[in-house]
Amino acid sequence: MAFDAEKEITKLWGNLRSAQAEIGRTYFRWRQAALALAGPDANPLDVSLKAAEVIGKELGKQSIPRLNWLKGEEVWLRSLAGGIAAQWIMQGAVVKVEKGEKPTEAFIKWERCPWPTFAKEYGVTMEEDALCCDRILQSILPDVNVFFNVNYKIETLKAIPRGQGVCLRRLFKA
Amino acid sequence: MAKVLFQWDYSKYPGAEKYPHLFKPIQVGELTVPNRIVYAATEDNLNSHDGFVTDADVAYMRSRAEGVVGGMCFMQGVYMDPERKGQGYVGQAACWDDKFIPGLKRLAEAIHSEKAIAGFQLMDCGRVGAVEVPFGKGPSTVPQRLRIFRPMHEMTKDEIKTMIRQHLDSAKRGLEAGFDVIEISGIVGYLISNFISSYTNRRTDEYGGDIRGRMKAVVEIIEGLKNICPKEVPVGIRLCAEELLDDVRGNTPEESMMSYKISEEAGIDYISVTAGWQESIVPVISRDVPQGSWLHLAKRSKENVKVPIMMAYRLFDPAIPHAAIEKGELDMWQMCRPMIADPLMPKKVLEGKEEEIRWCVACNLCLARLFRDAPMTCYINPLCAHEHDPKFTNPPAAEEQKNVMIVGAGPAGLECAYTAAHRGHEVHVYDKRDKLGGTLLEASKAPYGDNELFTCIDYQKVLCEKAGVNFHMGTEVTEDLIRDELPDSVVLATGPVYAKLDVPGADEVKTVTVLDVLRGDAEVGERVLVWGTRKPGIGVALLLAKQGKKVTIVGKEKSAGFDINPSFKWRYMIYLRQNGVKAYNDVVIEEIQGNEAILKTFDGYRFPVKFDTLVVAERGPNENLKNVVQGEGLELFVIGDALVPRNLSSAVHDGFRIGIRI
Repeated sequence: MAFDAEKEITKLWGNLRSAQAEIGRTYFRWRQAALALAGPDANPLDVSLKAAEVIGKELGKQSIPRLNWLKGEEVWLRSLAGGIAAQWIMQGAVVKVEKGEKPTEAFIKWERCPWPTFAKEYGVTMEEDALCCDRILQSILPDVNVFFNVNYKIETLKAIPRGQGVCLRRLFKA
Repeated sequence: MAKVLFQWDYSKYPGAEKYPHLFKPIQVGELTVPNRIVYAATEDNLNSHDGFVTDADVAYMRSRAEGVVGGMCFMQGVYMDPERKGQGYVGQAACWDDKFIPGLKRLAEAIHSEKAIAGFQLMDCGRVGAVEVPFGKGPSTVPQRLRIFRPMHEMTKDEIKTMIRQHLDSAKRGLEAGFDVIEISGIVGYLISNFISSYTNRRTDEYGGDIRGRMKAVVEIIEGLKNICPKEVPVGIRLCAEELLDDVRGNTPEESMMSYKISEEAGIDYISVTAGWQESIVPVISRDVPQGSWLHLAKRSKENVKVPIMMAYRLFDPAIPHAAIEKGELDMWQMCRPMIADPLMPKKVLEGKEEEIRWCVACNLCLARLFRDAPMTCYINPLCAHEHDPKFTNPPAAEEQKNVMIVGAGPAGLECAYTAAHRGHEVHVYDKRDKLGGTLLEASKAPYGDNELFTCIDYQKVLCEKAGVNFHMGTEVTEDLIRDELPDSVVLATGPVYAKLDVPGADEVKTVTVLDVLRGDAEVGERVLVWGTRKPGIGVALLLAKQGKKVTIVGKEKSAGFDINPSFKWRYMIYLRQNGVKAYNDVVIEEIQGNEAILKTFDGYRFPVKFDTLVVAERGPNENLKNVVQGEGLELFVIGDALVPRNLSSAVHDGFRIGIRI
């Protein structure tokens, strides 16, 4: 059978997009399940923020074996920022890492992100979407900070769900 | 005058003449050790899961004690807390109560029965402990890098005091059991090393801070031990000379040397030098690390402290430690794995029987087993951990002497040959080639230390000759030969057959086997496709990549190196990456179109890979001759790769097990 590169790539690309969409749907289906179990008195935002914390902590643990201090703090920081960006890239976002003014500072810029769209599909507010992303990112850092004996923080400067066009986060040494 | 426990006179032994520096006495503390040989404390997972010593462990230790010919022989490190946070291995011996003393006494007596000095090691596994409980303990709550290890709890000051007391109480039990030397394990990620390292100790109280603060708990243990041990009982410590943890901000080499000096100031009687942690990303003891690579650390230690320095870590060849001792860079030669592979290794050195040593091939299967809660075993030594079983150590003579034809002079055939011959059989080994070794002749030409694999054949050859095995080299076994000879038993150890790629277009491709390439007989182009991702495929891929060729390796298994144990496999994965070898797993070659192979993934995607030479490393069982033997009604055994293609270890173990069964 003749090899048709376009056909293979189309098939692969289509399946990748479906898998990415399924990640979002799976998250929000679980959110519905958690809210149903939590009962009518539970604040949906609290439930989502707890989930975001668990996700962030897991991402932090996952990043520890991939980080390396051998080439110095600046390279280490770029690896950390790159690892964070890669998580969202896998889900279909367009994310870039830019150097900050200081070697202990990096900016992560989401130029496009599928999560606000997922949130809208499931009737979740944009503010919850923004706050959950913040919580995930902040929860990545505690284990990483303890492991490497550093103190890094992340702050949100802009957010797509707040209508600011991009999500821009500053990762910096406190 | 230092105490002498056992009198040894090595003067009449050839080994003492060849290696005089290995067989001369040394004073350690107030104890005279007759030679420079030390079997280092090594976990074996042979004890009961509640910490009691077993018959298997006693027999294991007795054979190592025989091996050190009067030197020091350490039992495995004991854990010391009833909460079992310090337990790092499911079969680790315990010492947190007097009820363990009788078992420990059996070990001390077993070591003494061979006139060796019995060493007792205190080992709280700290960060790599808590194998049976959900949380470990350490100086600080530094998260684990590897998920296989438990989360940590930070110890309070009271817990530190308790831990120190547990060391002292356990040492008292060790003394009561009859041990002659007490050793603290402060290495590779165990609790004491956790206190010493800047990576894992972030405390701001008196047990943290600078290296003196981080050594405070160690100093208190050493001083306590010196108080309770009689003066003729040396107290030693194993310490990292380099943690190799720069990637996670571990100690500098200078800080490590400070830990040596501080230990000496506290009264330690000797130091055992080590390198690296279990979490280090630098290889330390695998076969790809040349022997003697870490001796500079012993030399550095000698320059920094005055107490005797001992070291293991890839010092297999006795000439290396001998020269180091002669030059004053080392005092004592420690071993773990070489004496797992051959418990009598130093004894054979002494007796001038080096050609009878079964050399460790530094594969780290022993470690891989321990980390997976399995009893110790050895890749190359089928008797390891079976020392208590006479069926293995002293297989009974054959009830009926048989004429045994072994087809194939590789590791499986040779292991079977001398084992069966020892039992009284008349054994004939046939091979169509002129040289012994089978496929190891080629496999040992792969890079990164695989030449050491051939030591297995050198050993087997000597054992076969001693056992009176008859060799018929350059003789291909045919149906006619079997019918002419009509042996009682036939053992097929013919090695595997190499698969034929049976896909459209395969006939038009330049195809060679892995053996042709390793032998240097094949002409190979610049773009190579290796078919088969097990060890033979990886070995040939690395060889070709090092020659500057562009190599792609493909196979149907989910990951490359399926047949390599995990404690070594990670090295090969790094080498594949470093040498630019592309690996596609979980794929089949669907067809060949000109100079492209079309690969198909398990889930149906297809993509092309350019190549000019196909190297076949896929293997299958060898069914040749089986029907003839069965047709003649002869007893038949199929072993090694001829049965199922696997690795060198399976070949050796198959050969041995059939050798004791025929």
